[in-house]
Amino acid sequence: MEERGKQTSEGSEIEEASRAVGDIETLKDALAEEKNKAESYLANWQRAQADFMNLKRRTEQERAELTKFAASTIVAELLAVLDDFDLALGNIPQGAADASWVDGIRLIQRKLLSVLEAQGLAQIKALGKDFDPYFHEAVMFADGEEGKVVEEVQKGYTFRDRLLRPAKVKVGRGKEA
Amino acid sequence: MAKVIGIDLGTTFSCVAVMEGGEPTVIPNQEGGRITPSVVAISKSGERLVGQVAKRQAITNPDNTIFSIKRLMGRRFSEPSVQRDIKLLPYKIVEAANGDAHVAMGGRNYSPPEISAMILQKLKTDAEAYLGEKITEAVITVPAYFNDSQRQATKDAGKIAGLEVLRIVNEPTAASLAYGLDKKQDEIVAVYDLGGGTFDISVLELGEGTFQVKSTNGDTHLGGDDFDQHIIDWLCDEFRRDQGIDLRQDRMALQRLKEAAEKAKCELSTVMQTEVNLPFITADASGPKHLNITLTRAKLEQLVGDLVENTIGPCQQAIQDAGVAAAQIDEVILVGGQTRMPLVQEKVKQLFGREPHKGVNPDEVVGVGAAIQAGVLKGEVKDVLLLDVTPLTLSIETLGGVATALIPRNTTIPTSKSQIFSTAADNQPSVEIHVLQGERPMAADNRTLGRFMLDGLLPAPRGLPQIEVTFDIDANGILSVKAQDKGTGREQRITITASSGLSKDDVTRMQREGEMHAAEDARRREEAEARNTADTLVYTAEKTLREQGDKVPADLRQQVEGKIAAVRSALQSGDVSNIKRSTQELSDTLQRVGAAVYQAAGQPPPGGAQPPPHKEDEGTVEGDFREV
Repeated sequence: MEERGKQTSEGSEIEEASRAVGDIETLKDALAEEKNKAESYLANWQRAQADFMNLKRRTEQERAELTKFAASTIVAELLAVLDDFDLALGNIPQGAADASWVDGIRLIQRKLLSVLEAQGLAQIKALGKDFDPYFHEAVMFADGEEGKVVEEVQKGYTFRDRLLRPAKVKVGRGKEA
Repeated sequence: MAKVIGIDLGTTFSCVAVMEGGEPTVIPNQEGGRITPSVVAISKSGERLVGQVAKRQAITNPDNTIFSIKRLMGRRFSEPSVQRDIKLLPYKIVEAANGDAHVAMGGRNYSPPEISAMILQKLKTDAEAYLGEKITEAVITVPAYFNDSQRQATKDAGKIAGLEVLRIVNEPTAASLAYGLDKKQDEIVAVYDLGGGTFDISVLELGEGTFQVKSTNGDTHLGGDDFDQHIIDWLCDEFRRDQGIDLRQDRMALQRLKEAAEKAKCELSTVMQTEVNLPFITADASGPKHLNITLTRAKLEQLVGDLVENTIGPCQQAIQDAGVAAAQIDEVILVGGQTRMPLVQEKVKQLFGREPHKGVNPDEVVGVGAAIQAGVLKGEVKDVLLLDVTPLTLSIETLGGVATALIPRNTTIPTSKSQIFSTAADNQPSVEIHVLQGERPMAADNRTLGRFMLDGLLPAPRGLPQIEVTFDIDANGILSVKAQDKGTGREQRITITASSGLSKDDVTRMQREGEMHAAEDARRREEAEARNTADTLVYTAEKTLREQGDKVPADLRQQVEGKIAAVRSALQSGDVSNIKRSTQELSDTLQRVGAAVYQAAGQPPPGGAQPPPHKEDEGTVEGDFREV
């Protein structure tokens, strides 16, 4: 009887032991799962943080750019007026070139230009230079030295060192007239 | 984890976008443009140019400037469309050994995928510069009618450019994604795409989260450029009638006309008429000539009406081919810049019998959709936490029954916000935190979420204690409010669960009420502020008289007391302008007290006899808060 009792108690000990081992396995699995979750949360958090820092950096860059170039939209619109002045003064009627009234118009053009220059506008020097598509837009060929700007059809401008509008130019085709 | 970009590789323009924080963002190119011309060139010096730069030298280098390469992608040389394009395109199209259509540029032949790869390369580089990280994967869109070889050619182009193309997506499908239509069930979607050079209409069926193309149609040579041309023709005709000169003979005049025509067309989408003003457009023996013509929207619609009509036939055909009736189409989407024109939108509405979707920039909508698809493929949409916003403003009640906001509505949660408040009366022993939800400026008009007291405040003059109130909402929308006396360290808090707030209907109703009562509320808030200012000034005036005692000349003291009485009676009457006026008079009179005291002392004033800063003037009400 003692034997059997011992066996029963041993049996139940073994049962308990295997239950405990089972529990440990379950806990191990649960722990592994939680660890995975924790890692992924940390990674996502880091990524979100990084995205945020990048966005912040980029927003500040954009804001600085915006401030610097905020005026460029309206200056770009005013270029049409500068163009018209160029056209007007390029078409002075016969014999009127010395008229003081024409001088007045010239002065107005100068004034408009200097107001805009004070903001950061600068004219692109195109005439005589090598054609450069980063600053010039070719509108047609013309007689003249190949690859050189032989005529400026419309002035080009930069604003605070950034291209505002390329100069419209005629490019030499290489044949002498 | 690197980002995947979405690319709209268009015939005339391309656009790149990427998902950031769950939202699609269009990536500007290095020149600052949100779209990039699909133009490639090799300059005389052998330099490869892509984009706007390539466009600028096109006229001087027509043989080596390749544009609209998309028209040749995946096509064989002998195809009729290629043969037709050979007549229209200024660069050389040749037959490759395998029968494909190739182009000649800079002395050698290129396959269309190689040319497209150059465009993709620039888009990739610019995206990397903007994002600050390397990009190796992309989603690229193609027209729905592209066949296998055309799709493969596009994939090859990506590969050559160093991009692994995770998927080729149909352009109308991408547009649908941009409008979130994939969230709907079993719908028929029509995509009306009128761009610069081509018109495409597609009918898609959405089922089980995927889009199936039911039919496509269109016109490969109908687009915004044709609209411009009609305007230019009209301007030339008008000018010839008025001035007897045909501007079509003048290359430079035509240039200016083209730009002006496009500008006028765009302006007329928002205004009813515009002036085409071109001084010195040309000259003849009698002198310079100017063009100054007014173009009304009505006239414009007359000029281009036939072009818009030409889109109707293909639409009707596409609807028929899809096997549906126009009435069965559930959604209509607009793509392409030309769809900004009111006439086009009207026509689309008439055709399909419903208002088309147009909220997303029509030049960018396909690129945006490609980015969304890229995000889904990358699992970003799965990984992104869907965050809520708090729909109504959360505030506490402060002096005068005013609701002082701590967390404004539509703030993304989880979030936390703190603000320091103080007492309204001397020796105030406790403060009541009354938590409110709603848009109205007066506390009584908002919903109470909860109340609690923080007591044990040490005796102190009003305005001295620092009570920090913190609102904290967690990701589940549970609000906890904490009040802490920074001096004693004592704190109290309550937690308010989302359910104790408002339902969706309540939220909308309260938002609408807030708008309706805006004017009235502003008035009441003004009144409360005037009262607070008056109360504080009266308190300060009495305190000053008390403290300065004999230093205040008797007649001045009488005046001040008179003004104090005036303010008190104005407060009784409740007339806001009266309150403000009498407050101002008291303030002016009080300043003379200060001046008198300084003069008597002959030196800078001691502390305590200074009038309080205007902002914090508030009255004495038991147990209330004032803002610091």
